[in-house]
Amino acid sequence: MGKSQNGENLGTDGVSDGGDEKNNPDELSSEPCFKFDQILKDVDQFIEKFDSGENNFTCIDQFLEMVDSEIAAYELREASAKFGLNMEEDASFFEVVKRLSTIIRRLEELPSDSGAASCVNRAGSAHHRAMLLSESEFRTLLDLNMDRNEGDPRSKTEEEFPYFSTESIAIMNQIASTMIFAGYEAECCIAYSGLRLKALDAELSKLSFENINVDDAERMSWESLEVEIGNWIHIMRHCTNNLFSSERMLCNSVFSEHPSIAQRLFCELATSLTMRLLNFPNALVLPRQYSTEKLFKFLDIYEALLDLNNMEIGNNLSAKEFVSETSMVQCRIGETAVSIFSQLENSIESDNAGRIPVAGGAVHPLTRYTMNYLKYACEYKDTLEQVFQKHNEMEELTVDKVPENYTEKDDRCLQASPFALKLMKVMDLLDANIEMKSKLYRSHSLRYIFLMNNGRYILQKIKESTDIYDMLGHSWSRKRTSELRRYHKLYQRETWSNVLQTISHEGVQVNGKVSKTILKERFKNFNALFDEILKTQSTWVVSDGQLKSELRVSISSVMIPAYRSFVGRFQSYFDNSKQAGKYIKYQPEDIEELIEQLFEGNTTSMVRR
Amino acid sequence: MPATDYQASFLGRISLRRNQVIAMDGNHEQEDLELFSKHVSERFTELLSPPDDVVFDTLLSISWLRKLLDVFLCCEAEFKAVLMMGDDDHPFQISKPPLDRLIHEFLDRSIKALDLCNAVTNGLDSVRHYQKLAEIAASALGQKPIGDGQARRSRKALNSLLMAMSVDDKECSAVKTTERSWSFSRLAVNKDRSPGHLRQVAKKWSAAKQIQAMTWNLVPPRGAEGSGLASPVYTMSVIMVFVMWALAAAIPCQERNGLSATYFPVRKQWSWDQSITGLHEKIAEEWKEKEKKGAAGLLSEVQKMEKLVRNLMEFTDSFQFHGGTDEKAEEAADHAAELAEICKRMEEGLLPLQMKIKEVFHRIVRSRAEFLQALKQGGKSSAPPV
Repeated sequence: MGKSQNGENLGTDGVSDGGDEKNNPDELSSEPCFKFDQILKDVDQFIEKFDSGENNFTCIDQFLEMVDSEIAAYELREASAKFGLNMEEDASFFEVVKRLSTIIRRLEELPSDSGAASCVNRAGSAHHRAMLLSESEFRTLLDLNMDRNEGDPRSKTEEEFPYFSTESIAIMNQIASTMIFAGYEAECCIAYSGLRLKALDAELSKLSFENINVDDAERMSWESLEVEIGNWIHIMRHCTNNLFSSERMLCNSVFSEHPSIAQRLFCELATSLTMRLLNFPNALVLPRQYSTEKLFKFLDIYEALLDLNNMEIGNNLSAKEFVSETSMVQCRIGETAVSIFSQLENSIESDNAGRIPVAGGAVHPLTRYTMNYLKYACEYKDTLEQVFQKHNEMEELTVDKVPENYTEKDDRCLQASPFALKLMKVMDLLDANIEMKSKLYRSHSLRYIFLMNNGRYILQKIKESTDIYDMLGHSWSRKRTSELRRYHKLYQRETWSNVLQTISHEGVQVNGKVSKTILKERFKNFNALFDEILKTQSTWVVSDGQLKSELRVSISSVMIPAYRSFVGRFQSYFDNSKQAGKYIKYQPEDIEELIEQLFEGNTTSMVRR
Repeated sequence: MPATDYQASFLGRISLRRNQVIAMDGNHEQEDLELFSKHVSERFTELLSPPDDVVFDTLLSISWLRKLLDVFLCCEAEFKAVLMMGDDDHPFQISKPPLDRLIHEFLDRSIKALDLCNAVTNGLDSVRHYQKLAEIAASALGQKPIGDGQARRSRKALNSLLMAMSVDDKECSAVKTTERSWSFSRLAVNKDRSPGHLRQVAKKWSAAKQIQAMTWNLVPPRGAEGSGLASPVYTMSVIMVFVMWALAAAIPCQERNGLSATYFPVRKQWSWDQSITGLHEKIAEEWKEKEKKGAAGLLSEVQKMEKLVRNLMEFTDSFQFHGGTDEKAEEAADHAAELAEICKRMEEGLLPLQMKIKEVFHRIVRSRAEFLQALKQGGKSSAPPV
C-alpha cells in the first residue's frame, strides 16, 4: 500500500488489498495527508473554541468525509484481519473515531435551532457505522478460536487458554476503549460477556462437564456418583487454578483502561460459571445417609471449594451472590462430612456383634476398622479441624464440653479443638465397646488377652500417626500403656497363680518330712493345669509380635525357674525313675518349649504334647 | 410479611396454647389444620389481584411473582409447623402409613421443584439479557431529535432482542430438541446474537415433563384421611406444583411444551382450592392467547417489552431523518420512555426475584432434611445408607 508521509494509508478511492504492496497512485497522494492534518487541526480547534454562536461546520463536514472513507476502507478488509496490519494506521483510525465521539457530544450540546441538525445527523451516522465495524470485529476476534481451522497459517491462536495472541488482545483493547468512549459500553460488554461465556462453556465441555439434575443425582448409585465427584473435583481445580486467573487476566488486558468494568465483567463470568458448577455438590448434600467411608470424597470436595471461596471476586452485586452461594455450599458439604463422621460413633455404639466374642481373643474387626479409619481421616486433619470448627460455631457449642474423665489430668483437653474432642469421644466409645465385649468371655484370662490385644493395636496405630498422637496427647498414651501393663499383671495372676501354687515348695512337708502323696498330687495337678492352659491358650491369638513375646517371656521367667527348682528339689523323693517318669511329665526344657506355643492361634490338634 | 416473622408468630401462638393445660388432645390439631387452610385461602385470594404498584393488565409481573414466592414461603413454614406439631401430639405419626408414603411423595416433588428453581434462575439470565438490549434501544431513541445513527443503533438492539426472544421461545417449545438443532441456534452464524447465559440443567431436561411428573399421584385425600395430616400435605403439594408452574409459565425455561395444559387435580370444596384454581385458570387463559403468537414466557414485563419492541422496530424501519419532529417520532419517544420504564422495573426487580428463588431453593432443601430426620426418628428410616 502506498504510504503517505505520516504513514497513513488513505486509499481514498476505497480500494485496498490486504497484503498487497502495490503502490496506489493517486493524484492527491501527497495533498490528502496535508489536508488530513489540517482537517484534524480545524476539528480540534472547533472542539476547543466551541460556542453556541456562529459555527462553521464546514471543517466538520470535511472531517466526516474523511472519516467515511476511512471506515469504508476498513469495512472492506477481511473480518478478523481488519486491524493489526499497520499499528500506526490503526491507532490513527481509533483516534479519529474518538474525535468523532467528542464532536458529537459537543454538537449535541447545541440548541436545536442552531442549524447543526444535519451535521449532527451525518456525524451520528458515521459514528454508528464506525461502531458497527468495531463491534463486529471485536466479536470476530473474540470468537476466533471457534471459527478458525486448526493449522491455518494465518491463525493467531495460542496454545493455552484463552488462546488469544498478544496482538489480538491489543486490538481488542483498543476497540473496547474506543467503544466505551463512544458511549457504546453496553454493546461492547454484551458482546464480550456472551462470547466469553461461550468460550468458558466450551472449556468445560472439553473437560466432559455435564449438568446433572438434582432429580437424577438423587437416583444415582454411589459408584456413578463417585466417578462424577472425581470429575467434578478435577474440573473445579482446573477452574480455580487456571481458568479463572486466565479469564481475569484477559478481562484486565482487554479493558485495561477501565478496571471497574473489567472487574464487573470478570465477576459476572465467574459467578455464572460457578453457579453452574455448584449445582452438583448442592444435589449431593440433599440428605441421604452416606456411610462412613464416603467421608473422604466429601472432604475432597470441601478442599476443592476452599480455593473457590478464597478467590478475590470484588464487591459488586454478582460478587455477593458468588460469595453467598459458595459459602453456603461449602457449609453444607462440611455439615455432611460432620454427620458422616458422627456416624462412626453410632456404628461403634451399636456394634454388638451378636454377642458372640471374637475367637481366641483376637483384635476385633471393629477395632481395626475404627483405627484405620481414624488414621486415614487424620490425613485430612486440617480440613476436618476446619469443618468441625465451623460446625461448632454454628451449633454454638462451647469448648467447655470436655470429656469428663479428662478434666483434671489432661489440660490439653481444655484447649483441644472441636475435632480433637470428637476424636477423643470416638476413642472413648471404642474403649467402652471393647470393655463390653471383653465381658462376653467367660474365661477371665481370655478376657485380659482380648483387652491387651485390642489395647495394644490401638496404641500402635496411634503411635503410627503423629497427628492422632498429638491430638490425643502424651498423657493419654501413657495412661493406655499403664492400663496394658495392668491387664498383663491380671492375666498372669489369673492364669498362672494356681499353677505356681502347685509347684510351691511350701506345704509339701508333713511333720518335717516330704510327703510323697502330696508330691504326687502336686505333680498331677501341675500337669493337669498346665496341659489345660496349653490346650486352650495355644489357640488364643496375640497378633502383636512384641506383646506375644513379652507375655511369653514374663510367663517363662516366672514358671521355668519355679518349676526347675521344684523338680530339682523333689525329684529325688520318688522311688525310682519309672515312678518319677509317671508323675514328672515335663522337664524344665519342655516347659520352656511349650510356653513358646502359647498364643499362636493354633487349632487344638496342632498342639504338640 | 416475611416468612420468618410469620413462622415465629404462628409458632408463638401454638406454643402458647401448648403451655396451657389442655384436656382435649385431638382438637387443637384440627384447629391447626383449619387455620392452615384458612391462611392458604386468604393468601391466594389476595394474589388474585395484582399488586398496587403494577400497571400491567396481566398477572405474572415481577413483583407479583415475588409476592407469590413470599406466599409460598409462608405457607411452607406453617405447613412444617402443623406437621411437626401434629407429631408432638401423636409422636411419629408422620412416619406411619399412610402419611409416610404421602410425605415421601411430597419430598420427591420437592426435589423436582429444585430443578425447576435452577431452570427458572437460568431463565432470569435471559430476561436480563433482554433488559440490556432494551436499554440500548430505549436510550438511543430517547434523544431528540432522533438521528439516523441512533435509529440504526436502536434497530440493531431491537432486532437482537426479538431474535433472542424467539430463540428462547423455540428452545422452550421445541418438542424434540436434538443436540444439533440446539447447538445450531446457539452458535448461530449471526454474530449479533450471543448466548446470554450458560445452561444450568441437563440437555434432555424438560420443564413440562418435570411439572407433569410432580402432579403424578397428586390426589385429594378421601374420607377419613381427609381430616388428618394428609390434607395439609396435599394442600402443600398443590401449592408447590402451582408455584413452579407459574414460574415456568412466566420465565423462559427449557422445554415447556404442553405446560399450559397441566391438569390440576383439585376439588372445589375447600376455599383455598378456589383461589388457586382461579389463578390457574387466569394464567392458563393468558397462555393460550400468547401461545398462538409465540412468546418467550408470560412475564408481564417481557410481554409489554415485546409489544413496544415491535412498535419501535416499525418506527426504525421506516425512519428517515428530516431534521424535525413529527407525530411518529413523538410516539416513538413515548414508547422508548415506556421501554426505559420497564427496564427500570427489571433492574430493580430481577435481582430480588432471583434471590427469592434461591431462598425458596434453600428452604426446600432444609425442610427436606428436617422431614427426613423426623421420619427416621419415627423408626422407619428412609433409604438405607448409600
